[in-house]
Amino acid sequence: MQQKKAEEKEKKPKFFINDHADILTEILKRLDGPSLGVAACVCRLWCAIARNDSLWEHLCFRHVASPPPSSVRPVVLALGGYKRLYMVCVRPVLTRLGHSDLVRRRVWTRDEVQLSLSLFCVDYYERRLGGASASSLMFLCKPVNV
Amino acid sequence: MSPYDSATSSGGGSGSSASSSAKPSEIDGLLAGAGYKVRSSDLRHVAQRLERLETAMVNSPAEISNLASDSVHYNPSDIASWVDSLLSELHQTASMPSDLPDLPDLMVAPAINHTVLSDAAWTDQDAPQQLNQFTVVTAMEEDSGIRLVHMLMTCAESVQRGELAFAGSLIEDMQALLTRVNTSCGIGKVADYFIDALRRRIFSPQSVCFGGSGSASLYENEVLYHHFYEACPYLKFAHFTANQAILEAFDGHDCVHVIDFNLMHGLQWPALIQALALRPGGPPLLRLTGIGPPSPDGRDSLREVGLRLAELARSVNVRFAFRGVAASRLEDVKPWMLQVGPKEAVAVNSIMQLHRLLGSDSTRNSPVEVVLGWIRNLNPKIMTVIEQEANHNQPGFMDRFTEALYYYSTMFDSLEGCALQPEKALAEIYIQREICNVVCCEGLARVERHEPLGKWRARLGQAGFRPSHLGSNAFKQASMLLTLFSAEGYCVEEKEGCLTLGWHSRPLIAASAWQAVPDANPPLGIVNHHSNHNAL
Repeated sequence: MQQKKAEEKEKKPKFFINDHADILTEILKRLDGPSLGVAACVCRLWCAIARNDSLWEHLCFRHVASPPPSSVRPVVLALGGYKRLYMVCVRPVLTRLGHSDLVRRRVWTRDEVQLSLSLFCVDYYERRLGGASASSLMFLCKPVNV
Repeated sequence: MSPYDSATSSGGGSGSSASSSAKPSEIDGLLAGAGYKVRSSDLRHVAQRLERLETAMVNSPAEISNLASDSVHYNPSDIASWVDSLLSELHQTASMPSDLPDLPDLMVAPAINHTVLSDAAWTDQDAPQQLNQFTVVTAMEEDSGIRLVHMLMTCAESVQRGELAFAGSLIEDMQALLTRVNTSCGIGKVADYFIDALRRRIFSPQSVCFGGSGSASLYENEVLYHHFYEACPYLKFAHFTANQAILEAFDGHDCVHVIDFNLMHGLQWPALIQALALRPGGPPLLRLTGIGPPSPDGRDSLREVGLRLAELARSVNVRFAFRGVAASRLEDVKPWMLQVGPKEAVAVNSIMQLHRLLGSDSTRNSPVEVVLGWIRNLNPKIMTVIEQEANHNQPGFMDRFTEALYYYSTMFDSLEGCALQPEKALAEIYIQREICNVVCCEGLARVERHEPLGKWRARLGQAGFRPSHLGSNAFKQASMLLTLFSAEGYCVEEKEGCLTLGWHSRPLIAASAWQAVPDANPPLGIVNHHSNHNAL
């Protein structure tokens, strides 16, 4: 009886999540921004996967009512990528425009997406103008003065 | 007489208060019901004293214990004398010196200072007298602040009358008074700038006007403008609102041409380029003509900006062409320099530029009429006009000064919430230059000739334009932009199709959009491409 159990245990393949990058990607896709950042610190594989811009794309538009048109991706990639879009624009805009506890359940409107993209573009342009002057979006990082 | 007794004895409350309002020397009925004896004629006095007492108690809690233990008060039902005695006790124990160590405590929020300014009917000619009636003096420093404003008005009045010697002596008095006021915020800061401007006007009028064409001052202007863009939302609001109107006007056109009357660093255009890149149907061919002052040191700053914008456009796959037109004044620009093609949809964008064309006397063929004329001949799909919402072009100096004092104190108020340094400091210098131009300069040197929206409507209507209403998208975008911006107090309002951004219900900047009224007989020699949907 015990031998059988031991044999069964040996026959059953052990499951290492790191062997299945696609499953891992699917899981990481469902994390929020801060968790994704933490996940990137786990190990090299997780870091590489978390750096994948498509994960951040998913994060940026997760709450949009309708998926963005296909023309958005090349523009965002040209302006710095989805991870930067999230860090610089999406996260502060979401925090400001909605209460933080509702952020996860909140649905973006098309206008908010547009505004984020525009601000992102201004940020890109200012960085090209000269590094010192790239602070037009700094107001997004400052705490709201209630 | 116990409080309960008085309540029952003045049972017909409405009756007694009606009688007390008829005879001012009577005891106020409502307060009598609560057990206090106050004469109706003393009500305002008592209210003022109570406010003063409250502020004094809040700001110097240490002295309260003295009040509680040492002072003796008689007959608290007589509030007027009770409050007076408390105040005199507090002032004795506090013994305030002129340079107060705990200045920040006494400096209550700037909103209070400016509420005082706004309540004191600025529109009235007798502003100084009314100031004395309506001000509520709650701390010694605010006393000085109000006195400063009073002296500023008197000084401006004497400047208008030509009594420069007297005005000069007033300047010295005001500068002495300034040392006792906190000039890092609130009324002190605004007064500091205006005293400086008046001083320049009286003592050194030639050196003042910052229309200098040296390379240093041009570069300075750009830097200051950039920091003003970042420190407060006015320019962002202008850019985003104008872009929205332009985007909607360009709908369906494949060949579009934007003419920017003041390119600076071109901060407005990345957002438009990106929006055009993402518009359904794909981006059009975008031509941008940027007008700006010529750079004296051989640097072609316009072309540099154009290159940056072209690079951005290339990254997002928008066909783009740039042209720079260097002109030191807008009236020097001639339409042929813009090279508008016949099949293009044209948008003209003027952010705080049209007011520079208003000469002080409206002669025939004034520069503004000439410029509006050729704009109209271009038949633009849209002309976006963003202007300061203020009346700084009145002929009388006193009126201008008063209006400017109110307008810029509101603007400085709104800047208080900005935490970014050095953006805030440089933005203040930018505003200071405007103030100097309004206050010190005359004739051709005075370019900051702001006029309110109503006047622009009339002027543009006469020049053959009709308003194009800014849609709800623009309003939504402006509201969202403000929500993102940190300080609460900004408000966006919609007024007959135009949007204004202001601080606490005082509009400071107005954005509007215009279309040329279609001509029955187009002028000869100019190719006008009228498409069917244009003639609405």
